[in-house]
Amino acid sequence: MRELCEQAVAAALGAGASYADARAVLRRSQVVGTRNERVERLDDAESEGLGVRVLVDGAWGFACDRRLSAEGARAAAEKACAFARAAPGGHRRDLAHVEPAQAEFRTPFERDPFAVSLADKVEHCLRAERALKHDDVKVTAASVRAQREHKVFVSSDGAAIEQELVECGGGIDAMATRGDITQIRSYPSAHGGSSSQGGWEVVDALGLEREAPRVGEQAAALLQADPCPSGVMTLVIDAEQMELQVHESVGHPTELDRIYGTEAAYAGTSFLKPGDLGSLRYGSEHMNITADPTTPGGLGTFGFDDEGVPAAREAIVKEGILQGFLTSRETAAKIGSGSGGSMRADNWSRMPLVRMTNLHLEPGEGSLEELIEGAGDGVLIETNKSWSIDDKRLNFQFGTQIAWEITGGKLGRMLRDATYTGQTPVFWGSLDAVAGKEEWVLHGLTNCGKGQPGQHAHVSHGTSPARFRNVQVGFKA
Amino acid sequence: MTETLELAARALQAAEGDDALAFVHRERSGMARFAGSEVHQPTLIENESVELQIVRDGRLGVAAGNRTDDQGLRTLAARAAEAADSAPADPDFAGLAPPSDPPRVEGYDEETAALSAEDQAHLAAAAIDASDLDLYGFFTSGVTDLALASTTGLEASQSMTDAAVLALAAVDGASGYAEQTGWRLADIDPAAASERAVEKANRTRGAVELEPGSYRAVLEPPAFAELLTYFAYDAFGALGLIEERSYAYGRIGEKVFDERFSLADDSLDPRGLPKSFDFEGTPRQRVELVEDGVLRDVVWDRTSAKRAGDGRKTTGHAPPSSLRHWGPLAFSLSVAGGEVASTDELAEAVGDGIYVTRLHYLSIVNPRDGVITGMTRDGTFKIEGGKMTEPLVNLRFTVTVPELLAELPGLTRDPVLINASAYYDERYPQGTLAPAVATARFDVTGSGSGPGV
Repeated sequence: MRELCEQAVAAALGAGASYADARAVLRRSQVVGTRNERVERLDDAESEGLGVRVLVDGAWGFACDRRLSAEGARAAAEKACAFARAAPGGHRRDLAHVEPAQAEFRTPFERDPFAVSLADKVEHCLRAERALKHDDVKVTAASVRAQREHKVFVSSDGAAIEQELVECGGGIDAMATRGDITQIRSYPSAHGGSSSQGGWEVVDALGLEREAPRVGEQAAALLQADPCPSGVMTLVIDAEQMELQVHESVGHPTELDRIYGTEAAYAGTSFLKPGDLGSLRYGSEHMNITADPTTPGGLGTFGFDDEGVPAAREAIVKEGILQGFLTSRETAAKIGSGSGGSMRADNWSRMPLVRMTNLHLEPGEGSLEELIEGAGDGVLIETNKSWSIDDKRLNFQFGTQIAWEITGGKLGRMLRDATYTGQTPVFWGSLDAVAGKEEWVLHGLTNCGKGQPGQHAHVSHGTSPARFRNVQVGFKA
Repeated sequence: MTETLELAARALQAAEGDDALAFVHRERSGMARFAGSEVHQPTLIENESVELQIVRDGRLGVAAGNRTDDQGLRTLAARAAEAADSAPADPDFAGLAPPSDPPRVEGYDEETAALSAEDQAHLAAAAIDASDLDLYGFFTSGVTDLALASTTGLEASQSMTDAAVLALAAVDGASGYAEQTGWRLADIDPAAASERAVEKANRTRGAVELEPGSYRAVLEPPAFAELLTYFAYDAFGALGLIEERSYAYGRIGEKVFDERFSLADDSLDPRGLPKSFDFEGTPRQRVELVEDGVLRDVVWDRTSAKRAGDGRKTTGHAPPSSLRHWGPLAFSLSVAGGEVASTDELAEAVGDGIYVTRLHYLSIVNPRDGVITGMTRDGTFKIEGGKMTEPLVNLRFTVTVPELLAELPGLTRDPVLINASAYYDERYPQGTLAPAVATARFDVTGSGSGPGV
């Protein structure tokens, strides 16, 4: 694969590129899903190919070819150059300097997930499903997944990097229905569970079967619960929902390509400006956000990003002040700071984009119980159910699967259909406590969408439960 | 025999099982994506993949890959067989589809298929050059070849073309949106889309906030189409009905919407992006989902029809394997046009309310009741005295779709094809035929950012 990438880069330079990089990727993935104790998905997919990115006279070009052959490499390189030449830019594009690396990186794991038979994966799901059973639960579902991506990156700067990333995950859902009310509970996350880099030990550690009875019982209990009241109140958010809160209201707005408008037509832009760096108050002093592609187990963990920039931990928000952006070599050069490090592509047939890697809310102090005690009156919410945020990442609304009333610092009755809404910097400004590292959990999601043509990124967020004051809970219609 | 059918036949030969089905997907596409009036993400894709389904002792296994030489197909077959052997028998498995004669549909255009990367770049430039504001968006076109063969005697293939332009004219404090999509390049005018976006953008300067509340509203086709697409995920598929969790459960046969509202799923309509067969190989059918406000039916595939067990038949709406957990999907929605000629007349019918061009980031809050939230963007205005007046910031809405559809003062006469593809994964052109609509109820629950970049 390295030789093919070198051939592609050489062909691109020969066709007039001033810069070129090539990525050859072999990806294998398995998904096993069961629903009401029948196998719903039993898929084993493999995909391979090579993508070539070029700069010709200041214009980008990208083309790919599924054939891992000299012919495919040359064809992709020449087409990428031709496309770039046909769509000239108005000015030069500079790339921040990065020392060209000759390196390897591999996800450490204990048990190869592809050595675990599909039959064992099916049985893993079915056992978890059986444990979800409850009289009012109409639908039970379980899934496990595994992916291995072997990729080689070569650039005209002299980089040659080989990486093998392995990840696994799973989740369970129980859906209860009575009359006109339908409720869902999920574990460890909604929308397909949670994943981490690592081997099959990741799935074993989730304990799907162990957690299933609680999940099934809560789904059924929600049918009897009162709707969450509306009003401005103190909100305690569990670690799982905080994952999405960080993702949507900190991760995406700090992507520097969005700030420069390159996602305007689809995913949107950002309320941030390049000049906000180092001065904008994003939230309260309790807010500390870090981008860290070196986090063990993170879905955004790598040795090098898809521009060959080495993984490095970086502060994004420190004590509430904006300190960093997620960048590419091109956007880093624009602000004259850093050398990128957040460029990632979805497989071989897509151009790298600025993406989140692992973006964490750093832990504070104390336990979830102490957050609740300090809340006085309010609501504790858990597990995402719906999510939406505006194109500049200011106005958001989230719904969660379950909530509990907090009265006098004590948890009270269970509540259903909770939602909350806010404006990003106002909301983060109302953060008054983050629980400690004992409560800090790493979640991984695989459905982060961006780009045209669309790309899915796999990213992780480490979060602890957090407490916010004066939050609008429910709709304001 | 087409090349893709030959490949499907070769994959079948490699399969060892009681039955097998091979589905071939081939894509050749280009997208010139631009921002700030410059192409910044130009992407050319060529791929060919095979999905092989193998049935052994009533158990189904699926494997997919894009190595299509003989060794690649043998590996694929071995993995599909292992998958089949790993599954317990499924009592709901309806078997592979029998032979059929899929309808001949339109949807392939030589001129569109012949577009080169240079052509795609020039068409993007045509949109950019027509805008005196910074332009964001893309021009894309592609050819998608599908072929399907099975040991049960299925043999079908289809080639589809599609082309689309998306134009967002935007500067600080102003943005406007327009799009065009179709299977014929002749239906796409990048410059015209760009000019429309600019005209809209220039009206959005000085946007003001709006108090939350329930408003009468006009939704342009992109807004109406996207709202219906999200509602349809749960409301118009058989799986949600069978599992008693969708809006349709318990309401089939009831008049639940305004009598002006009729909705079908129609993959055969040449005004849309026509498709001949579904991912099980069943011929696609037009399904009347709503007639004159009465909820009539949902869409079905072989598995859901067998589970329903009441003589149900598939309607040709099986999803690809990767979306099987959603069940059959209505992805070719078609809303019947009304009697109004223009959005100006809809605004007159609304009197006082709001005008919405486009939506952003929708999410289903409550599928049983059809509650959806999202934002408006790139062209939101007040309607006062039957006229579109001052621009508004982007609005947070949280609507119960059946309430929104309960009273429709009007719909425009001619539905417009709205692109429903975000081009994730493999290309499979999708679109919704929707008119503009006036509704008596659109619930605004907050304000967000202003227009512009």
